[in-house]
Amino acid sequence: MSKTTRTTQTARKSPVWLEFLGSMNLAITLLVMLSIASVVGTVLQQNQAFQNYILKFGPFWHQVYNSLGLYDVYSAGWFMLVLLFLLISTGVCVTRHTPIFIKDMRQFSETLSLNALKHQPNHASFSSTDNLHTSQQRALTTLKHKGFRTRVHQREDGSVTIAGLKGHWNRLGYFFTHISIIVICIGALMDSNLYLKLNEWRGDLVPETRSVPLNQVDKRAWLSSDNFSYRGTVNITEGQNADVLFLPYDEGYLVQQLPFRIEVKEFRLHYYDNGMPKSYESDILLFADELAEPIAKTIEVNHPLYYKNYAIYQSSFGDGGSLLNLKVHPLMAPIANSSVIESAVNRTESLNTPAGKFRVEFSDFKLHNIVPNSDEEREKTGHKMHNNGPSILFKVRNEQGQAWEYENYMIANQQEGRWFFMSGVRNSMAEPFRYLFIPADANRSKTRFFEFLALVNNAPLAERIIRNAYPRPDGMEEKAYETHIVLFKQLITLFRQAGFDGISQFIQTNVPEQEQATVAEFYFSQLANAMQTLYLHILEQENAILDNEGNISAENQIWFEDALTSIASLHRYGPPMFFELETFKQIQSTGLQITKSPGKDVVYFGSALLIMGVFFMFYVRQRRVWIHLNTTGTGTDITVAAKDNKKLPETEAEFNQFVAKLKA
Amino acid sequence: MENTNTQAIWQKSKNGLWALIVLLGAFIGWQVYADNMDGYEIAILFGVALGTIWLGWFWKSFQTLAYFVATFSLLAIWIYQLNGNLYAANENAFFLKYLVSSQAAIMWMGVLVIFATFTYFFGLFKQSEFVYKTSTFLAWTAAMFGFIGMMVRWYESYLVNVDYGHIPVSSLYEVFILFIVMTILMYLYYEQKFKTRAMGGFVMLVMTASVLFVMWYIFDRQAHEIQPLIPALQSWWMKIHVPANFVGYGGFSIAAMVGVATLIRLSLEKRRPQSRLLNALPSVNLMDDIMYRAIAIGFAFFTIATVLGAMWAAEAWGGYWSWDPKETWALIVWLNYAAWLHVRMTKGWRGAPMAWWAFIGLFVTSFAFLGVNMFLSGLHSYGEL
Ligand code: HEM
Repeated sequence: MSKTTRTTQTARKSPVWLEFLGSMNLAITLLVMLSIASVVGTVLQQNQAFQNYILKFGPFWHQVYNSLGLYDVYSAGWFMLVLLFLLISTGVCVTRHTPIFIKDMRQFSETLSLNALKHQPNHASFSSTDNLHTSQQRALTTLKHKGFRTRVHQREDGSVTIAGLKGHWNRLGYFFTHISIIVICIGALMDSNLYLKLNEWRGDLVPETRSVPLNQVDKRAWLSSDNFSYRGTVNITEGQNADVLFLPYDEGYLVQQLPFRIEVKEFRLHYYDNGMPKSYESDILLFADELAEPIAKTIEVNHPLYYKNYAIYQSSFGDGGSLLNLKVHPLMAPIANSSVIESAVNRTESLNTPAGKFRVEFSDFKLHNIVPNSDEEREKTGHKMHNNGPSILFKVRNEQGQAWEYENYMIANQQEGRWFFMSGVRNSMAEPFRYLFIPADANRSKTRFFEFLALVNNAPLAERIIRNAYPRPDGMEEKAYETHIVLFKQLITLFRQAGFDGISQFIQTNVPEQEQATVAEFYFSQLANAMQTLYLHILEQENAILDNEGNISAENQIWFEDALTSIASLHRYGPPMFFELETFKQIQSTGLQITKSPGKDVVYFGSALLIMGVFFMFYVRQRRVWIHLNTTGTGTDITVAAKDNKKLPETEAEFNQFVAKLKA
Repeated sequence: MENTNTQAIWQKSKNGLWALIVLLGAFIGWQVYADNMDGYEIAILFGVALGTIWLGWFWKSFQTLAYFVATFSLLAIWIYQLNGNLYAANENAFFLKYLVSSQAAIMWMGVLVIFATFTYFFGLFKQSEFVYKTSTFLAWTAAMFGFIGMMVRWYESYLVNVDYGHIPVSSLYEVFILFIVMTILMYLYYEQKFKTRAMGGFVMLVMTASVLFVMWYIFDRQAHEIQPLIPALQSWWMKIHVPANFVGYGGFSIAAMVGVATLIRLSLEKRRPQSRLLNALPSVNLMDDIMYRAIAIGFAFFTIATVLGAMWAAEAWGGYWSWDPKETWALIVWLNYAAWLHVRMTKGWRGAPMAWWAFIGLFVTSFAFLGVNMFLSGLHSYGEL
């Protein structure tokens, strides 16, 4: 922009506040404020539960931050205000610059005096022997050739000035970029929740905070289907349909009525060979009154369904109430007989057991559990991941309300070369799962374990077996023998009730300190003898083959040790039952995101303007050239001047080249 | 006159040949891979071909580079095919193992970058034309190897598993290579255009830092292992969004390092006007101009990249703007340079403050590029460290 226009601008004094609104300083301040707000919004995790913030910052700062709206910066009032000011500021700026720039784009300044030309950044004078007409023709063709638009000014003194202008689109760049900012802001406002905020403020809208069935949701949390713009999600189970969306709002949610109904036929999840998810896809049907036939489409990530001004996205997935057939194994019973229950994810069952009444809440089913391999496993198998197979997640709650959460795997998994059925247990969501590893038998089943456990639980039978295995040696007194048998029985019971720790504890409280070590050694060896005896009984029943010397195989020995470890930790496993997943029918649900976003096209239009504008601004140079021709006795005196709106190193070289061309 | 005429004809035919070869390459690519491409991808292929032709015309040296890259990449592919098209060939076949498998090529790139950094600085202090020329050669070769590494990796990803195949701009490791190659090339363009090699060392410092990071990332985290794409990244948008972003990052990094050179020069002028280094460094005006150009091109492409990102987000996540940390930091970077440009344009600031600002901009940019992945969590899934 030339000096002269600047001064005229300031001469036409506008009110101070307008001056301020359109000022560069305000614009830059706003840009910086916007940046800082954005930084805060990314560094401080947004929209978390209040408790987390209180824990992190303490009650005082929590109050301060909360009232500054820092937990939801991007919809805080002051943030909106900054955006609004940016909008106004840019608007004022554009309005004020428009007339100047339009004039600048149009005018050739062909009337500038010779003297003024000589004050331009680049200028040169020379004489030519050609007459004025020839010189003028040559000047015009040269300019045309270089892409300048020209205007010829015939002066009264007979001299001629040719003014050339090129790249006036550069100015358009300014309009495009700055108007685009306004356009984009308007588009964003169209898609913002300002309208909802207004309704909430008027009291017409109250978000629902309870999780209740749809028909019990507060009427004031419903939005009608002609709502202007929205973005929400809904989970639909395979085979089911929905015609509402849930919009998260403040601490609760709103229910948006849709003008169509979506039915999900099937959801599919595909994996790569390394276990990473490869695709999520849903077969959906869209029913609407105006459609004779429903629209059928498979949507997946990056491939939404567009219908009118709605877009339907694949966004998440979950369990939609898979059917579960379970066996409940009692862990304290003297015989291994299990009961059967049929249930489903999201259902709760009541169990009446000898150990009390319980409620079981099934919360999730996973078909695949893909976990990273350890380094050794990686080396052995060459795979980064392995699949632990199906699992269920459920809670068991006793009558006092105490709850245990379990994660049970359906099939056995290999750990250090042996096969185990894993079951995680924890008392609160904050804890990690502690795992029970039930060793699988030769048939990769839990049968032997539960047989063995039942035998350990069955005191009379166990006693009989031990008496058989250890008949009273001749010469041992009856009383001593009976005491020994009682010790066996007590050790088994203690072990069963409190594990190895229980026995250690018992010794610590009941045996004088100096004898503890010897007693412990004796007790543990006796326990091992007793358990081994019971185990041999099981093996006999299985017809497991012993070698010539009557020893059991190495695998069976390891199984025995694993079983002892497992039984020893049963007392920390919660209520005495084990839920085994027998069969299942997976039913998935798909999480759809549906948007109606009328501002989107506005934003895109603004973005296109912005990009064009930026290129015009940077890569179109606005250049002016003046050629002043004056007849002399011998030919023509020529003065060339040029001005580039951006001073670049090549400007001068180009000017010299241009002059050379005129001279030639 | 005669001489220049034949030269012009020679240049014209070279340009024609270039266009022909690029188009032919695109056409063959299309014929071979048509089954794997959708309409958008075919459009991108030919769009890129036209862009490449233009780039080669605009910047002649790019043609030479491209011929080398194409030759070596095809050589690598050919050797893979000779070895039964098995990925494992990169451990057995000599040429692959030591030269042109993606891993080998990237190692070469790293070594050459570090050498080039040293020689550029050496050239600066000695003011030796010969050392300088060597640096330029090393930088070109580094860029070439990086480029080859990317091309071959693209092919290798299909060898590892057909399902895994994708353009290598999907993980932090891959985009780092892209960043290094892109920035070196942009720098080399300015070096040629402004006929000064004095800023090479400064720019290459950032490249060296990146190379060291990549090396750590390979040896400590095995980041070079080829992984399949998560569903959100399986989109043709990635092919244009990511590279556009890295023209931006490249421009901003160059501006920052030219800013450092400017600051050094300004401080020398003040404190040690006799210093020999003053003769070696270009004028403040020239560096200021380069800074402006680098930021301008960076800003333009960053604008495009952000807009493309928004459009992709609208398709993948269901909203063009979600205030995801990566998105937000892109906005911050963008606002920062918008403010820089404004101050320069309308207030006419030059010299030290703008150089400082450009330099600080590098930290803002690095945070958007790396810091967000390291410290913040969000929807942008690639490359958590
Ligand atoms: C987010 C908002 C804005 C963005 C992204 C933006 C962007 C830009 C860009 C990229 C330039 C080009 C600089 C150059 O050509 O090198 C520019 C120039 C300019 N901007 Fe802004 N701008 C914004 C807001 C404003 C506001 C609010 C004002 C009003 C004070 C303003 C006034 C100007 C002026 C006067 C120019 C120089 C135009 C010329 O002389 O060619 N801008 N803007």
